[in-house]
This record gives sequence, structure tokens and C-alpha cells, in this order.
Amino acid sequence: MLRITGLTKTLGSFSLKGVNLHIEEGEYFIILGPTGAGKTILLETIAGIYSPDGGTIALHGSDITRTDPKHRGIGMVYQVYMLFPHLTIEENIGFGLRQRHIDPVTIRNRVRQTAEMLGIWHLRERYPETLSGGEQQRAAIARALALGPRVLLLDEPLSALDVTTRERLRRELRTIHRMMKTTIIHITHHFEDIFALADRVAIMQNGTIVQVGTPEEIFQRPETEFVASFTGMENVFCGRSRLRDGAALIDVGPISIQTVAGIEGDVYVGIRPEEVIVSREPFESSAINTFRGTVTEIQQNGMFSRIVVDAGVPFVCALTRQSIRRLELAEGETVYLTFKASAVHACPG
Amino acid sequence: MERLMQRRSRSSLFSASFLAISAVLVIFMTIVIGGLVLYPSQRELLASITSPEILFAIQLSLVTSAVSTALCIIIAIPVAYAMTRFSFPGKSLANVIMNLPLSLPPLVAGVALLIFFGPSLIGTVLRGSGIDIVFNVTAIIVAQFFVNVPYMIRITRAASAVINPRYEYVARTLGCSEWSAFRQVTLPLAAKGLIAGLVITWSKSIGEFGAVLLLAGATAMKTETLPIAVYLNISTGDLNEAIAASIVLIGIALVSLLIFEQYGDGTQVI
Repeated sequence: MLRITGLTKTLGSFSLKGVNLHIEEGEYFIILGPTGAGKTILLETIAGIYSPDGGTIALHGSDITRTDPKHRGIGMVYQVYMLFPHLTIEENIGFGLRQRHIDPVTIRNRVRQTAEMLGIWHLRERYPETLSGGEQQRAAIARALALGPRVLLLDEPLSALDVTTRERLRRELRTIHRMMKTTIIHITHHFEDIFALADRVAIMQNGTIVQVGTPEEIFQRPETEFVASFTGMENVFCGRSRLRDGAALIDVGPISIQTVAGIEGDVYVGIRPEEVIVSREPFESSAINTFRGTVTEIQQNGMFSRIVVDAGVPFVCALTRQSIRRLELAEGETVYLTFKASAVHACPG
Repeated sequence: MERLMQRRSRSSLFSASFLAISAVLVIFMTIVIGGLVLYPSQRELLASITSPEILFAIQLSLVTSAVSTALCIIIAIPVAYAMTRFSFPGKSLANVIMNLPLSLPPLVAGVALLIFFGPSLIGTVLRGSGIDIVFNVTAIIVAQFFVNVPYMIRITRAASAVINPRYEYVARTLGCSEWSAFRQVTLPLAAKGLIAGLVITWSKSIGEFGAVLLLAGATAMKTETLPIAVYLNISTGDLNEAIAASIVLIGIALVSLLIFEQYGDGTQVI
């Protein structure tokens, strides 16, 4: 649907060095990467703000590399809203429709419909500066959606918001995506966004895409050291959570993991490798999760080594070399894995 | 306790002396300017202000400054935008050249303009094709424009530099051309700064003397703007007319300063 081939662009100290991406119709696509990776330039080049130095962008099979932004049908939402401060919320949302010289009644209806979907119609006469961050971001999303864009670009849309507002708006983005079926490209550095929203994820580093895949693929099989260190949660599993006595018990394959998060239904579970304790014998402790497994792989690198233990599902654990020697670990040995319920990060899948 | 008192008294001596210097300066300025207003008798002052010569000067000053300010803003908006948003080879050199008239004595700018429009090749060619820009009303406008356009550019730049270019980016994804994004988004956002720049440029244009004197000359009832009227009347000993023209200039300065304070928030006048 949207095909980006060999895209290059240098802008000051930022650059895109041959970006290749293919985004499917109706897909929620997330781009993850550190500051300075060139994520915003990529979005702005897709939107047509910058003309690329090389490469092509094709939308629905037609080349739009040199098309003026106003003819691309690509909507843009920035981290800090960029609502026009001299216009009311209603005028902001209707801005794009007014450029098309549509009759005022139709504009008002469309604006109303979009604003109501985002729950901001009652704010229509206010000016942006009088709104909270969450309300402003809703208005910015409404402004982009009112035109019915073919692709919606979101540049860290949740990063400037407080935790509660962020979670609410994240759920709403998911609802909007399901309702409108708009193709969305979303830049973030929160891994929660990935699990809650993404159909597929691309990891971007130094102006290139280093890995593309489903959230599970990215987290379970990071292809480069960078992806692994950036995502940090190598033990990521899909599961189903049941609430019991206020705590959640998550079934992951053949095992059940306890967590403190009170969520139910389909979830993603993440456990950092350094949170998992490896022992030769089971032991009594305050940590509630203990599983028996077999060492399948030992990777010696640097001060920390990573060992993979199959306990029904594969766990990655980080140990020092001394610990591996002391425990006399080798491939094929039986070990016990222990971690606290609070070390289990769960988010809705 | 005693030491604390000492410290306190020393620090209040510090602030008291700085405040005192400030107070003396304010009083000095008030007396100098107020004294000028109060010096002539009110009857004579009124007669001078309504004299044909001063009325002519007021009218000429208003017309020329309005035209030159309009020219300043028409040129300054695109230039200021280009200087904030675009990078091009020779930008810093262009910046220095554009700001040169700011630090140049207006008299020197006047001499340069006089040579350019007078005996130089370009001046001769212009005159040959019927365009004469020396010693007439057009000369006043040109001189005011030349000296003041850098101010207008500076203030407009300050106003447009704080506008995030992403407002325009968003507008363009919403169906605006570059022109219409500029007109519908950037220009309204810069409006306050532009009004501030407009007022200060207008006020400086009215007060421009050196460059106007050189390029337009000081011909009574012809190129006699308010500052030229002050100069001509002082040189002929007509003190009342000179003071009348000065008081009108003080009034204009005061009004424009108040308007600037209203709209200029944060914009620095150099």
C-alpha cells in the first residue's frame, strides 16, 4: 500500500540512509528507535515536507515521491499538537476541509462527527491554549482525521502526556484504528504502545531500518544487539490472564506466571533477563514464580553472559561468567528459574 | 546579630545607590523633555503648531513615513522569513550587509544614497529616463526606507523565529500550498510582532533626519518633514516653531512607544 524504497535524506545532523519499508493497507505500523535515529524526518519525508535526496515513495502503486503534500492525502500529528493557536478547536478541525472549499454545512457536520468520536465537541469554541494536553492531542488527531487521510502519521503522539491520559488516549487510538481502518504509522519509544497498538513494528537506528516484524518477533528474536538492548525485555510472551484473589495468573503455554498487575484477558508478558534468578535447586523465597527447565544455550559475551533455559517456554537469563562457573552450568543441565511477581510486566495484547 | 545587620545595611546601601542613580536619570530626562514642552507660552505654542509651515511638516511627515513604512514591511516580511527558514550560501554575509545601516550613522547612509542617485552611473541613467530621486519628496521616502528597513527586518525576524515551522507543515498536509500556509498560519501568528515592528519603524521614519537631510535636502515647504522643520527653524532662530515641531515628535514617540509595549511582548528593539 505504502512502499518506501531506498529513501535517503540528509538534513543538518540527521539523515536517512536508505530506508525500505512496506506498509499494508489498514495496518497499524509502529516505528521504534532512539532519539536522533531520523524517525521524524522519515515521517516528514513521507508527508512530503522534505524532498528526498534519493529513493521513492509509492502510495497505492503510484509514485508520490515528488507530489506536493497537499495532494498526498497523508495526515500528520505531532508530539506537541501544533494546533493553530489563532483558531478555535472547531476551526482547527475544519481547517483541511475549508481548504477544499466544501460547503460550510458539510464541513460542520464532518467536524462534529470527528470531534464527537474523540469526545471534544463540547470544546469547539475554545482556543487551543485553554485546553489540557490530552484535549489538544485529541483535537490534533481530529484535525488530521477529518479529511479521511489515506495514511495517518503520528509522531510520538502520546509522549507529552501524563501517564493516565496517555493510557486513555492509547486505548482510543486503538478504537479509532479499528473503526476507521486508517493505515497508521506511529513513532514511539514506549514499548507499551507496541503491545497495545502495533500490527507490525520497525526498529530504526542511525537512519536505517534494522528490523521489521510483529511485536512478538521483535521482542523474542531481536536480530541485532541494538534491538535487544533497546527493547530490553527479551522474555516476551503472549498469554491469557485470569484474576484470582486480586492477583493475575497468566497462562503462557504450559506454564502459569503470577504478576501483580490486575489485568484480564489476552496480554503480553515481559520479563527482563537480569530479573531471573538461576539456581541448581528450588529454594524458598518471597519470589513466587519458580519453574524447572533445561539449559539449551549459553552465550558468553562481555561481563554478562546470556543463557537460554527451556521451561516450557524459552527464557533468556543474564548471568555473570563467575556465576555460570560457580553453578557449573552447561547445555542440557536442569536448572530452576525464580523471579518476583513484580518483575513481570504485563500489558493488554 | 550585629554582623547580620551589617550585611543587611551594606546590601541595602548597594541597592539604594543603584536605585538612586536610576531615579536621578529618570528625573533628568523628565525635566529635559518636560521643560521643552513647558518652555514657550501655551498661546504661542498653539499658534506655532497651527502655523502653515508646521502643519505642512506634519502632513509631509505622516505621508512619507506611511509610504516608507509600508515599503519596509512589504520587503521585510519575505526577507525576514527567508533569513529564518532557509539556508543559502552567503547567508551570514547577507546578514551583515543587511544590518549595516543599523550601525552606520544615517548621515553616511545619506551621502551614499546621494552619490548613488546623483552623479553615479545609475543615478544618471535614472535621471535620463525621467526618474529623479534627489532633493524631492521621493527622496524622503527612499532615505527613510533605507535607514529603517533593517529595523523592520530584525523585529520581523524575531517574530517569525519563534513560530515553529511545523505549523506550516501541518497546514500543508491539510491541503495548503506553501503560499497559503504562509498566509493562513504563519502571518496571523506573527501579527503581533509585525504590528510592533510597524509602529517602531513608523516612529523612526518620522524622526529620520540625517539621511533625509542629505538625499532630500532641507527646503522649507518642500522637503520639510518635522525633524527638518526643527533644524530649519533653529538655524533661523524661530525657536517657537522648532519647539512646536519637537513637541509633535515627542507626542508621536510617546504614542508609538505605548503601542509597542502593548504588542511587542518579548520583541526587543535594538
